[in-house]
Amino acid sequence: MKHSGFPLLAASSLLLLTMGAHAETRPQYGGTLQISVREAPTTLDPADTAQQDTLASRNITKLIFETLVTTDDNDRISYGLATWWMFEAGGRSQSFQFRLRKNVIFHDGTTLSPAIAAASLRAANPSWKITSNTDSVIVECDPPCPYLPEELALPRNAIVKKSSDGKLSGTGPFHINEWHPGKKLLLGAEENYWGGSPFLHEIDIEFGKTFREQLVSLELGKSDLIQIPAEQSHRISTANVKLWRSAPLELIALVFGHDAQSAADKSLREALALCVDRASIGSVILQGSAQPDASVLPNWMTGYGFAFSTETDLARARQLRQEVRTAPLWAVSYDSADPIAGLLAERIALNARDAVLQLQPTKTAASDLHVAKIPLPSDPIMALATVATATGLPAPQINSGSAEDLYSAERELLATQKLIPLFHLPVVYATTKAVHGGLTRQDGMWNLADIWLSRQKTGSDRP
Amino acid sequence: MRSSVYNLPILSMKMANRALPVALHAFAALCTLSSFLFSVEAAASTPASWSEPEQQLARKIVAITGPGAVALTVDNRSSLSRQQSDIVGNGLRSALEAIGLRFVGADQAAATVAITLSENQTSYVWVAQIRQGTNERTVVMVSTPRTEGVSAPRDSLPLTLRKTSLWKQSERILDVAVIEENVIPTHIAVLDGEHITLYRWRGDKWESEQSLAVAHARPWPRDLRGRLVLAKDHLLDVYLPGVMCRMSTGAPLSLNCSVSDDPWPLVSHSIAPDFSHGSSGAASVPQLDAFFAPARNFFTGVVSRRIGQFGAVPKFYSLAFIPRDKYVLWLFAAVDGQIHMIDGISDFALKPGSEKAKWGSDLASVHTSCGAAWQVLVVNAEGDEDDSVRAYEFPDRDPVAVSATVDLPGEVTALWTETKGDGAIVVVRNREMGGYEAFRLSVACSQ
Repeated sequence: MKHSGFPLLAASSLLLLTMGAHAETRPQYGGTLQISVREAPTTLDPADTAQQDTLASRNITKLIFETLVTTDDNDRISYGLATWWMFEAGGRSQSFQFRLRKNVIFHDGTTLSPAIAAASLRAANPSWKITSNTDSVIVECDPPCPYLPEELALPRNAIVKKSSDGKLSGTGPFHINEWHPGKKLLLGAEENYWGGSPFLHEIDIEFGKTFREQLVSLELGKSDLIQIPAEQSHRISTANVKLWRSAPLELIALVFGHDAQSAADKSLREALALCVDRASIGSVILQGSAQPDASVLPNWMTGYGFAFSTETDLARARQLRQEVRTAPLWAVSYDSADPIAGLLAERIALNARDAVLQLQPTKTAASDLHVAKIPLPSDPIMALATVATATGLPAPQINSGSAEDLYSAERELLATQKLIPLFHLPVVYATTKAVHGGLTRQDGMWNLADIWLSRQKTGSDRP
Repeated sequence: MRSSVYNLPILSMKMANRALPVALHAFAALCTLSSFLFSVEAAASTPASWSEPEQQLARKIVAITGPGAVALTVDNRSSLSRQQSDIVGNGLRSALEAIGLRFVGADQAAATVAITLSENQTSYVWVAQIRQGTNERTVVMVSTPRTEGVSAPRDSLPLTLRKTSLWKQSERILDVAVIEENVIPTHIAVLDGEHITLYRWRGDKWESEQSLAVAHARPWPRDLRGRLVLAKDHLLDVYLPGVMCRMSTGAPLSLNCSVSDDPWPLVSHSIAPDFSHGSSGAASVPQLDAFFAPARNFFTGVVSRRIGQFGAVPKFYSLAFIPRDKYVLWLFAAVDGQIHMIDGISDFALKPGSEKAKWGSDLASVHTSCGAAWQVLVVNAEGDEDDSVRAYEFPDRDPVAVSATVDLPGEVTALWTETKGDGAIVVVRNREMGGYEAFRLSVACSQ
């Protein structure tokens, strides 16, 4: 692959090498982090279900808002705005009491109260029974919800205070300075944040930028942080930029628009699953950046993913096809803004032809199945629930959360034949070398409150 | 009948914990982090601890195949070493044989059993894929908590820098003070952002004696720093941004914290008066306290006494010093990214060089009986690699490495000279596993 597309990156390397001669392992305060992203959110409200759930939207939510419970760097449930919780079970119902952290202030100056937190959670989850007392929020579940803490750690359950004029206020490490929906978001460091003021002074996010625009912006020093399509990451020289790679957690799958209607339909779906040549698609189209998988959850999350075979079995696929008199033409849609999705659809259509199945790639939304990219939370139970929601299936029932339980739940999900998992892709970010600290976690979430910029970027410490 | 269960401080083994009945979570909440780190992990790394999951998986396999002849393979795709995976493989074979399986070639077998030793973030997952005749594969599995590897120290060259692990925990460690020792430390105090905890070595493990909360009204800054200083007339002084605490010696111990902008003692004489005297012929080192910025991670540059012509120094993260015949050479790892060397008359930056280019912002002086008697310990940091620490001497103005680098299992978050001055405490954050570990660094003469 040619590197000629990135001449300025090479040219800027000398500058970065010069910067590297300074000793600075302790974080510096100050500076503005410039970010470009492809997504163009039109709302910052985490509970707005009309907004597409993307990793970028989750990341932005977590800069401004916080959840009662969160996950730490090792994906363990940890304290967020709640510092303690109690679980009570009685009969068929369960309840969780979450005691709130004290002295937490919203960006508009209001003190976090249980009533505000309860109202926020009710808005996001109208079907939940949520009450509050002097220091706690109580959530009652019927049927039981043993994984409520994990669910509350999801960004959509962030605590949001809405003013009468619709302004949103959070308790996170950054407050909103400017918001131009779909175009730009300027965030300022919250000096009195309960977790300690962030090192950065400001974050400036530009939305709706194509990958090419992002890359040029990085080359010109107008952006410090961009997201790189995983399959493009090998083309980026790391001599002058840093690459940050998450674990493979974005599921690429074929998702059917409706349940299997008949035995014949089931046979055809199984035939399609057996004829997809993941290995060659992975090496050619995805440039080896993706993990070919037939499991919903990636192996690093469960440890058993390899037990779902990714082997192509064309003979069996043809046999299944022959058992069905006629096979319909399936329209397979893809996101036209995603260049890889179209190539995947076309390549899968070719594979299907080998099994005498007919797939017609299309950009139109009306289709029989579509190429879906589903960002997974790093918690395996929440990840299964996310996939179930994205495919229109009920959330799987999981008893204990052991590996074997997860395996059973995943098998049940796949037995519906509503989806055919294909790959798990990592999320890759590129930053200038002025960016220090741990940018991203294994789950692809930014950790911007803890990152800092080189002295050359920060100028002097902010007051 | 209603049962109440309280949250754990930190759920350590997520998937494993989910497998526990609710009542067991309450028991788990009672387990302290220390006992987890030093008992459970240590035990889990021994071959004996594989026995239970081996037998569990064997029972699950035989429940499918029944007793008889099978073809068995065991593959390792986890982070277990070859030696460990061999131990597990042999254990599995023994467990299977004990409950009625015989191992034969695939052509003679009634079933094939392919065991894969795999893992996820928190657990080892052992998966058995069983095929009997032309039947569909059956998959059974067990999981058991993962353990952390143990790294070996290394040493060489004129001086030997040794690191001794003192303590590790999931919360950020700010400093550790060794209160008593008998060949090895036997009584330590561990400071984190919320507590100071005393541990005593009993038999073969540390036991928590007492944990006292650090009271503070304002949120701590990020990159929190804190320092423990052993005192003469009481046990400890604790310095944190904008807060100072004093720990009494009488039983029960108490910790009194108050808002304070008192400077932090960076050259302390309270315990070791000799520390103030240079080695034979060298100038004495004056006590030096420095003011810490309460909402930041650095010292403001205002110090308790003049350094020659300098009433203040640049804002800095850490300092070290080298007593000379007629003056003391001070080194400041400054916020501007430079190492400032101040001798009382001039302030000059250490020349950029291949060594200095890798220096981080943590320095500490140690006074030893080796070499020139005073060494500066410096954290070397390069990109995203794990940090290391190395001892240097300053025959003139340029540093000369006098020890091999000692690799550390992560990035350094604290480096403090111990109160007695003959060693240092370094705290490391493990990038992969998370959590913090404190080591004592000591210099030994190689010859």
